[in-house]
Amino acid sequence: MQELLTRIANQSSGWIELRFQERKTKQIAVRNGTLEESSSKRIQGIGVRALIDGVFGFASTTDLTEQGILRAVAAAQGAARTSSGAKKHRIKGLADASMGVGTFPVPTTDPLDNHSLEEKLALVMTIDERIRKGSSLIVSSSTSYGEIQDEKIIVTSDGAKAHVFISIPEFRVMAVAQKDGDQCFGNGANGVNGGWQDLMSLTPPEELADYAVRIAVEQLDAPHPPGGLATVVLDPGLVGVLSHEAIGHSVEADIVLGGAITANKMNQKVASELVTMVDSGVSEHRPHATGTLAVDDEGVATRKTTLIENGILRSYLHNRETAAHFGVEPTGNARAFEYSDAPIIRMRNTYIEPGVTPVEELIAGVEDGFYMCGLGFGGQADSNAEFMFGVREAREIKNGRIGKLVRGATISGNAFDVLNSVDAVGSDFRWDLGASTCGKSQSAKVDAGGPHLRCKGTIGGRQ
Amino acid sequence: MNNETILRERCREALKLTKSHGADEVEVFAQTVHSISADIEKHDLQTSSSQQETMVGIRALVNQQVGFVCTNVLDDLEATCVDVVKLAKASPKDENNVFADPVTFEPVPDLYDSHSESFSVSDAVAQTIRMIEAADAIDPRLVIGGGTFSANRELRCIVTSKGVDLAEKASLFTYYALATAKDGEKVSNMAFHFDACHFVKDVNVVPVTARACQDALGSLGAQKGESFVGPVILAPTAVEDVLVGLFAFQLNAKNALRGSSRWGKSLGEAIAHTSLTVTDNGRLPGGVATRSFDREGMPHRELVLIDAGVAIALMHNGYTARAMGSTNTAHASGSARSTPGIGLTNLSIQPGNKSKDDLIADVKQGLLVNRFSGSSNPISGDFSGVAKAATLIKNGKLDRPVTGTLIAGNVFEVLKNLSGVSSETERTFAATLPYLRLEGISVTAE
Repeated sequence: MQELLTRIANQSSGWIELRFQERKTKQIAVRNGTLEESSSKRIQGIGVRALIDGVFGFASTTDLTEQGILRAVAAAQGAARTSSGAKKHRIKGLADASMGVGTFPVPTTDPLDNHSLEEKLALVMTIDERIRKGSSLIVSSSTSYGEIQDEKIIVTSDGAKAHVFISIPEFRVMAVAQKDGDQCFGNGANGVNGGWQDLMSLTPPEELADYAVRIAVEQLDAPHPPGGLATVVLDPGLVGVLSHEAIGHSVEADIVLGGAITANKMNQKVASELVTMVDSGVSEHRPHATGTLAVDDEGVATRKTTLIENGILRSYLHNRETAAHFGVEPTGNARAFEYSDAPIIRMRNTYIEPGVTPVEELIAGVEDGFYMCGLGFGGQADSNAEFMFGVREAREIKNGRIGKLVRGATISGNAFDVLNSVDAVGSDFRWDLGASTCGKSQSAKVDAGGPHLRCKGTIGGRQ
Repeated sequence: MNNETILRERCREALKLTKSHGADEVEVFAQTVHSISADIEKHDLQTSSSQQETMVGIRALVNQQVGFVCTNVLDDLEATCVDVVKLAKASPKDENNVFADPVTFEPVPDLYDSHSESFSVSDAVAQTIRMIEAADAIDPRLVIGGGTFSANRELRCIVTSKGVDLAEKASLFTYYALATAKDGEKVSNMAFHFDACHFVKDVNVVPVTARACQDALGSLGAQKGESFVGPVILAPTAVEDVLVGLFAFQLNAKNALRGSSRWGKSLGEAIAHTSLTVTDNGRLPGGVATRSFDREGMPHRELVLIDAGVAIALMHNGYTARAMGSTNTAHASGSARSTPGIGLTNLSIQPGNKSKDDLIADVKQGLLVNRFSGSSNPISGDFSGVAKAATLIKNGKLDRPVTGTLIAGNVFEVLKNLSGVSSETERTFAATLPYLRLEGISVTAE
């Protein structure tokens, strides 16, 4: 296939990008001990993007013969020509980049296919039973295992020839507890770019299950927090959510050009000098982050991109088009979820660099505040960096000690105000969003994390 | 042979192959989707594209054990048929795994426009340009940061070993605009509106663009609000953000079956004020989700879910109907890429008899919320988040736009204290909804 795509790319007039993808997925879902889904999916196709007269056109096909691919090429070029009369700002060119060449295997010694369907199903059933037995207050359990295995061949007429393999298994649990007609839930999820053992060793499924039960049950008797501005210690999970949702999207160059609050803020102070934030195709600090990829879907070799350096905004996230617009190097952030999606700017592994303060000291320094862990139900952020996240587990901090749980807590504010308020950064590090899927007109598997942070945020509660 | 005949034959072939490899019962659901779209980014045409895909999903039962496989690799269909039987054999037995007998019904009219076959990439591009021009005509401070116009043609086909053998074509045009207003350093909230239709002649992108633009402009210059506990009027988009996900969860029979829906245990009981009536209708004329039959081949029909504040019905597919001894309401949802779930089709909250202005006129101190950015927990009912494009209400009149204002409450509680339902309704992404006035909401100004 790579030879065929290379030949077609070399023979095409004008710039062209050809991307073959075969995706195999599996999904096992159990609820209350009953199998809800045991499924697999296999899709194949080729996405073609052409650039003519400064305008992109895109087409996709499932016909993998040479004739079928050539028809898709003609359709993509036709779409570009059609659009060229209507587009106001033509693409002046694509920025030069280090193009990916070679084969990029999955970073694991324990491939998912070494483990049978029966083994995976048995684990899901066992964990689901563990949830139901975790407390007499549990009225519903939900457990699932899913995996995505991708093979991509990315060829461009200007040099990319990459053969990329990606393997993402993930495990999810949810427990619903009930008391006096009131219901609360607890959840947990894990995901990696790697193999079976890489997933199992991140947080064992038994621990995820026990945590979900504990949170569901404990919330039943928990009060709502009072609303208002408070000192908070965010765990790596919420730091990851903040980094990805509230900051990360606002530095995606296409969003910047659409009017994000970060436009015209380059090289200005946007956060506390304690904050250094990164988006990377590499899995720094800990292995197997889900957003790890060696080559993006434009064929560009990825790299570590420092977005905020000691509080100063240093970079946006780019594809080749926006990199040319801003006169910088592409950062390798062009990603497409399936063959039928055109690449757009997406994050990979987004995190805040660890600092020097032990976590215990972060908490000990709070007289009256909250310790907030993980993304709960719901969350949104705007291009003006205003955000609101549901919090999975929120506990009071009184006189430097973590206390009782509060339920239904949210944290909101302007992400840059929150980052400016950071007065201590933990020395720890964890990836936490490995089972997450980011949505921006198409899906993307991403990861995010960081250390604990101490800062100020607005707690959503009751008057 | 036309495309419908070819796809039906493909389904029948897959059914026979799957049975020949050991399945007792088989359901084959296939879809061919043609899609043309043009995208807006940063107030300019970005990319236009054309796509076509045929996907086949096969569900097999072996001794009431179930497996599901889908693929678009149609040259190797037999391998898929072998795989699905293997998956089924590895699964535990469940006596509720039975496929339904066929039911005769009248197809929904006016789902397919033959003119959609000649709708081209250049037509889609022209619509996106119209959206940008509509924003320019309103105010130069507006930016359409994102938007899409899509023209889709879909052919669905389902064949089962029980004798279901159906096919249907539908055309659908969908379009949305994401507008932001920028004035110096001031950046508005991002405002979103969506619309859709089945016929080329009904396409009109201007009103949806104008609504997004007006909402964006309305939130420019917003200042700190006020903290109080009191009435909040949710606009239709905010109603969708706060309530529709909870309705979809609580009225899903699968969640009732698993014990995670409190309304599942409260059928026949009052769960809301008498002014609330909620229906779901998969045959709604012009509805985005309108089709003749559901993911399992059962005919759609209108279902009253909440009648004058009383929860009276749950949404069922074949599995939950059998497991709970209820009637199948034809709410099997999903595509050829997934096993049938349970989902809303075209949800409507029935309009009330007061205008939106009348709802505002009764409020001494309150908040009008156009969009809600936050969480609404479908299990506990707790909701909390930022009121977007919000306007303070003082002495029965809209006072001034506010920003950084949080609203919080519990859906189960506020539905009982619903104090007003507007006579006006709007189509949001998933539903047709009025303005709702909720009492006792906690409003916190940051």
